[in-house]
Amino acid sequence: MAKDRSNNYDYAGPLRRLLFVVLSLVLIAIFLVWRIDSPRVERFRLHVTDRIVPNFDWAMAPVTGTVNLLRDFQSYQRIAEQNQELRRELRKMQSWKEAALQLEQENARLLDLNNVRLDPRLTFVTGVVLADSGSPFRQSVLLNVGVRDGLVDGWATMDGIGLVGRISGVAQNTSRVILLTDASSRIPAIVQPSGQRVIVAGDNTAAPPIDFLENPDLIRPGDRVVSSGDGGVFPAGLLIGQVAADPGGRLRVRLAADYERLEFLRVLRSYGSEPVRDSAGVVAPLTLTEQVEGTASE
Amino acid sequence: MNELSVSRRWVMGLYFTVLSFGIVFLHLLPLDTLPARWVMPDLLMGFAFAWAVRRPEYVPVLLLAVVFLMADLLLQRPPGLWAFLMLLTCESLKAQIGSLRVTGFPVEWLTVAGMILGVTLAYRLILSILLVEMPGFGLALMQMGFTILIYPVIAGVTHAFMGVRKSNPGDLETLGDRA
Repeated sequence: MAKDRSNNYDYAGPLRRLLFVVLSLVLIAIFLVWRIDSPRVERFRLHVTDRIVPNFDWAMAPVTGTVNLLRDFQSYQRIAEQNQELRRELRKMQSWKEAALQLEQENARLLDLNNVRLDPRLTFVTGVVLADSGSPFRQSVLLNVGVRDGLVDGWATMDGIGLVGRISGVAQNTSRVILLTDASSRIPAIVQPSGQRVIVAGDNTAAPPIDFLENPDLIRPGDRVVSSGDGGVFPAGLLIGQVAADPGGRLRVRLAADYERLEFLRVLRSYGSEPVRDSAGVVAPLTLTEQVEGTASE
Repeated sequence: MNELSVSRRWVMGLYFTVLSFGIVFLHLLPLDTLPARWVMPDLLMGFAFAWAVRRPEYVPVLLLAVVFLMADLLLQRPPGLWAFLMLLTCESLKAQIGSLRVTGFPVEWLTVAGMILGVTLAYRLILSILLVEMPGFGLALMQMGFTILIYPVIAGVTHAFMGVRKSNPGDLETLGDRA
């Protein structure tokens, strides 16, 4: 019996070892190709995700829904407190609403006076969040809109209020959004009201720090951070959040978008602004030679 | 080879595939889009080790490679590297199965813990040599610690609920293999 067994092993051994070596080489080759030509492999990854994840949607939606329901249920325990809190906030909001209405009217009047035309092409597509990145080290979500819906790499993504991230990778039916909190996210921004240009650089925490700040003295916690549109990839003027200082004294952005519940995201269509190409020429009378050439050609 | 054992092998292989897809699915659920302060243990690695130690024939090398490559692709890891390291460790665990069968669980746990430690360090080392951008070391260490701590639970579940047990020389099935 023992001999039989060892025979069996000997028969399977070399084959198995060969298979192991071949598979290892294949895996290492895939890794090296990814390292050398990452965009191509990432596109392949997107296609794989595009094939697989939407198929799981029927199972993912109910599970996510149930878990969220249970979480809501926990919050019902504090319902009385919450009610009080909401009433207080509502009173505050009503005064703000009044102010906002007045401002809206004023704004409409001013726009009308100045004959301002908002860009009619600035529209959006709304997508549902299918899945997140699946890893604690990466912050991204998968949307159920893709090339089919005319999405293009680099477009901005918002929830109702603030910027959430940018499209990075589109497949036929899905697209990946790199969130502002991801360690590879860099968004050019302006801090208002001081107007300083900064970079909001994600670092895998809930509040991304502010980078390349020229003069920290001009900035106070509570200042608004909006996207600046530098580099021409990203539309300008989208709200990112507010400045806040962490205990270490570093300035960070408290994001306006509600990152705890990303369910529906708006992808803003932006076709880029036309650049001004030629430098200003001097408007001057024609020189003598040009006049001569002009009469000669006539 | 017996018909029964061959079909059982296929069924258990399928079982492992479904299990790993379930784990990946769990990871992909969009429950928390905030950056995490703590991380889940790497269940896929734990189950792969537990199965490889108990029944190497249920997790053949081809299956492991496919499953881990898919996990790499779906979970946004650099594709191939983690899969390769997993293949390497699972195969070396399978090679030690003779000695692990005789000794008790503590030795198995120690061996697996050493493997997890080695794999985590090697992964980060290779990535840093190739200048790949990496997330903080703290989270990775935490994940490693959790995985090592939870391994006994994984092994228990594998043994009790999945029916993947170490084969003894007198087992009906191993007998059937040779009958």
